[in-house]
Amino acid sequence: MRRPVRFSSGVVLVAGLLALWEVSARLDWMQTPNWPPLSQVLAALARDILSGELPELAGGTLLRMAAGLAAGGTAGVMVGLLFATLPLTARLFGPTVELIRPIPIPAVVPPLVLFLGLDDAMKVTVVALTAFFPVLTNTMQGIAAVEAETLAMGRTFGIGPLRRALRITLPAALPYILAGLRVSLALALVVAVVAEMIAGEQGLGHYLVMMQFAGRAPEIYAAVVALALLGYALNRGFLALERRAIHWWFALGRQAEG
Amino acid sequence: MAPVSRRLALSLAALPLAAPPLLGQTLTRMRVSVIPVLDVAPLHAAIREGYFAAEGLEIDTSTTTGGATGLPGLVARQFRVTFSNAVSIMLGIREGLDFRFVSGATRGTETPPDIFAVLVKKGSDIRSGKDLEGKRIASNTRNNIVWLRGMAWVEKTGGDWRRVTTVEVPFPQMADALAGGQIDAAIFSEPFVAGALATHGDRLERIGWPISETTPGGTNAQYVAMKEDLDANAELFDRFARALHRGVDWVNARLTDPALLELIAGFSRVPVERLRQVALPAYPKGVTPAELDALLTTMTHFGLGGRYPATASLIHRTAAV
Repeated sequence: MRRPVRFSSGVVLVAGLLALWEVSARLDWMQTPNWPPLSQVLAALARDILSGELPELAGGTLLRMAAGLAAGGTAGVMVGLLFATLPLTARLFGPTVELIRPIPIPAVVPPLVLFLGLDDAMKVTVVALTAFFPVLTNTMQGIAAVEAETLAMGRTFGIGPLRRALRITLPAALPYILAGLRVSLALALVVAVVAEMIAGEQGLGHYLVMMQFAGRAPEIYAAVVALALLGYALNRGFLALERRAIHWWFALGRQAEG
Repeated sequence: MAPVSRRLALSLAALPLAAPPLLGQTLTRMRVSVIPVLDVAPLHAAIREGYFAAEGLEIDTSTTTGGATGLPGLVARQFRVTFSNAVSIMLGIREGLDFRFVSGATRGTETPPDIFAVLVKKGSDIRSGKDLEGKRIASNTRNNIVWLRGMAWVEKTGGDWRRVTTVEVPFPQMADALAGGQIDAAIFSEPFVAGALATHGDRLERIGWPISETTPGGTNAQYVAMKEDLDANAELFDRFARALHRGVDWVNARLTDPALLELIAGFSRVPVERLRQVALPAYPKGVTPAELDALLTTMTHFGLGGRYPATASLIHRTAAV
């Protein structure tokens, strides 16, 4: 008896979609040269990796993304901690934060160019702004979820407010903070590339626009594939780090399935 | 986060070879906003041939697509010089921005082939501006030189431009939009004309040359800087224009030479074989009041009128050649 096909791994679906890509392009279903076969895309990808161009550009994009993520993430945790421990600050600054949060970042790139120029300062700021909000929200949520008994015990032992915040609240909220960071990580790569597409000759975003203008479809999709792989690798890497950082939490078995 | 771009690193590395007398002398860095199109070939020629380095300048190009960040970036002092199309520049001047022409860049040629072309789907029955009334025509941006020449062509061929709907479609997506029937016609600029005919030649055809049919040799694009900067650093811009104009000479001496196409392929990344099919513009050094006056007349006719300063006052001495 044949075993039923296992789709749960997801790999089968990915392979199927890639095969569909190749076939649809080879048979010209879209009736356009701007939908090149996957094999041509992979050839372009290999060519530009071996020439050193793509690795250099991707490195620049990743560095800007990492800098923005670090800045935005740190700010998110600090502001979240402040809002949660000093309710007055939340009342003061909360409305401002809530007004800024829904602004689509690409809409504010032109004014940011005025203040910060076209290079790293602007792009890192754009990423930091994007990374800030998911971390802030999750930090506040995480702090709200710290069990009251834990804090009460801290007080009973005479631990001061600052030490309590740093040694009890923050570690207890860490799983939430890391979940926020993971959301920010995915957004950060997207926004870094968008910022590069708007101005300046930097990174994968600029490469994408150049290749669009040059009408080189395989290179465009090579950059897209590279970005998909980078995003996937970043997420997997982050998950591995998260497992190590909060193994105690996973040991409690509280996390959702998957 | 490389503070030293690769281009800068390469040009610095090549410097001792290119210009031995400049060893030890620091170059003045100028950032120029460009678009990755044929028009900026002289600038890239001047960079590659070391003409800027010989003037003590190091040019850092910043590529933007369309004028979206070029002119605002100039106002914000992010760039010293911006390459842009004549209509966008004049509209900025109308709004009170102190742009001054530093150099000419491109004009249409007197006779076809133009750098612009109107393309339609094969077998669509659209042959003129008259046929386009009530239909959709694509321009990369509204209210720029491409749109203006396209509307002039619509009128010249018997159509009422107010009855033609303009849709903004980026150049790289025009051929697909046209072949897919989302638009009825499109005003293409080179190298996208050649690109579209190479890749979609079996489904698209050209029905008009918007520049040579309406304004043979008409103005197209220029380099501008801010008046304040020009007043304060006139000597710097003299050096800039001298080097750029040597680049213009280099290009004009090679209009039929494969070396020019290789240069363009290098900075635009358009494959050389496609560039062989591309129509080139004329590359002037200067800007004349006459060409700007003619442009303003056309702009006024197509709803872009207003109070403009005397055009002669907008031309910096480096462009008065």
